Amino acid sequence: MKILIVEDNPELAFEVKEYLTSSGYICKISKNCEETLEEINSNDYDIVLLDLGLPDGSGFDILKEIRKTDSKTAVIIITAQGELEDRINGLQLGADDYLTKPFALTELGARLFAIIRRMHGFTVNQLDVHGFSLKLQDYKVSYDEIPINLTKKEFDIFQYLVLNKNRVITRLQLTEHIWGDILEVNSDSNFIDVHVRNLRKKLDKHTKIDWFETVRNVGYRINV
Amino acid sequence: MKIKHQLAIFNGLSRLLLILVLWLMLPVLVEKVVYNHINKSLLEKKQKFIEHLDKEEINDFIVRNDTSETYASFSTLHSEFLFLSRVPSNNKVDETFFITEPRIIEEERNDYRILQYYFKYENTNYLLEIGNSLSEINDLTFIIRFFIIIVLIIIVVITFLADTFYIEYLLTPFYKIIDTKIRHVNEPEAFDHTPIQTHSKDFQELDTVLNQMMDRISELFKKEKQFIANVSHELLTPIALLKNKFENLIQNESLNDMAVDKIVSSLITLDLLKKIIANLLLISKIENNQYEANQSIDFDAIISDLVIDLQDRIEDKELSFHKNLEYHFSFTGNKTLLHILFYNLIVNAIKYNKPFGTIEITDGFLNGIYFLSISDSGIGMNEKQQQNVLKRFVRVSSDQEGQGLGLAIVESIAQFHHITIKIVSEINVGTTFLLLFSNERKPN
Repeated sequence: MKILIVEDNPELAFEVKEYLTSSGYICKISKNCEETLEEINSNDYDIVLLDLGLPDGSGFDILKEIRKTDSKTAVIIITAQGELEDRINGLQLGADDYLTKPFALTELGARLFAIIRRMHGFTVNQLDVHGFSLKLQDYKVSYDEIPINLTKKEFDIFQYLVLNKNRVITRLQLTEHIWGDILEVNSDSNFIDVHVRNLRKKLDKHTKIDWFETVRNVGYRINV
Repeated sequence: MKIKHQLAIFNGLSRLLLILVLWLMLPVLVEKVVYNHINKSLLEKKQKFIEHLDKEEINDFIVRNDTSETYASFSTLHSEFLFLSRVPSNNKVDETFFITEPRIIEEERNDYRILQYYFKYENTNYLLEIGNSLSEINDLTFIIRFFIIIVLIIIVVITFLADTFYIEYLLTPFYKIIDTKIRHVNEPEAFDHTPIQTHSKDFQELDTVLNQMMDRISELFKKEKQFIANVSHELLTPIALLKNKFENLIQNESLNDMAVDKIVSSLITLDLLKKIIANLLLISKIENNQYEANQSIDFDAIISDLVIDLQDRIEDKELSFHKNLEYHFSFTGNKTLLHILFYNLIVNAIKYNKPFGTIEITDGFLNGIYFLSISDSGIGMNEKQQQNVLKRFVRVSSDQEGQGLGLAIVESIAQFHHITIKIVSEINVGTTFLLLFSNERKPN
């Protein structure tokens, strides 16, 4: 998977690139409209991460340019304002998803997974981890064909951790993923712990889950 | 009172005053003209009489009526009379007077205009009186006054109507300016720059000035929006950078626990920073009218969704939650914003509640106004806290997390939707937030 990161802040672009590279993607950075247009015309990218506020123009123009010639390349818009109009505008112009700055890298990972799954016509319908199968279509988990009854939130947490396997996921990242981009300041992330505890209890019934690690004071990690 | 009504009233009153003055002055004027006329004819008669006067004639007159030494003659209908009498000698010789007084002639009393002329003839003083009856004249005066008044009233009515319509016509552009340029303009973008058709220079100027003013406001709005966009971009990009840096850094296995703790607390601080900025931007965007209020709102659905989202927090405190909405109140507004409003209110009701407490959401009508009430059995607020709680950066208690913007946002969103918030609270008993939907909308 080749990803073009369009971002004018080089440090931010670097961090995103580092994360994506570690997740197995091939990345290139472009820092303005001109460079981006050259890049997409000369190379085939599967996914473009498009920051809307660029020094020499709007990301919307690039989006229009991309959609003029091909419909295969997926585009994720990244906006700083999180303007509803921007989102709607972007989605109407053919963007596949949007993220609001600042976003968690793991959230980007989860969105990319969903987009890639869609690009492949939903042929990937299952995630497997240590004998557990996550059925992505109907939010069901089974171990050795034995169904496990998870709540929607427990499933979401499990899937998020599996998608970002081998990474520490902070409580904050999980909270943001589960409850969305809420504006309430809630440094008290007990509720995530409650859900994770329940999830672990349910999984633990079937097999030893020492790979489902609690990282002290930080969050959780699923090691594969 | 509208200017056209004020002008109409002024017109009406001034014309009534005019009629009144004319009405009062008319008798004087008419009398003056009529008397003048009568005086002239009396003088002519006197002249004729005197010209033909000689001794015999005088004697002739007086002999006929010796006893009174007065000669009197009058026309059959008593409209005129002529007296000649001897008078004792006095200074009034060759002098003419005009008087108006009643006289009784053959037992009929009438007002007369009388010419008195004193003269001396052959050493005898005489007084000649020639009278002209005023009864006919009075009748005539009355008729004239009557007609003049009728004519005046007609003129007044016609001019009043003409004035009123003309004023109406003149003021039409003015009301049009108010209507199209001021009343129906909530946002500078909705402003119509088409000049208003008018021949009055004043209104043309008003129109131009309004257009210019709106351009300036529009410019300011644009600048503010631009500023908000810039601030969010300039602040949120570095926050994103730091956040992602820390997120990558924390994956580093070689870090010791203390370093990890510090990174986590930095991430939490960054999150707080992000949310404060997002909340302030939200408030300023609401107050800048950057949201549209055109969605049909189902309060029941919004609250039900929220309760599902917040279920774990409600359970965590073991609160009992009751929602009882009886009316399907139809409301048009912005769904995203109202979602935030209820989220903040319900989260507060959870946050400031006691364990095993209750949260109740009900609706109803208060003096014909629909209300939604969100009550908790929490710690409550005193008078001062109730007054300040909707302001920015005010927290009820310092031991709870939050940055004190939640209710400020509630206030902004409520104002945006013309919803009035009333707070009823008692310390250690609970707090009720009443949302009053004042714009006379009834349930379906």
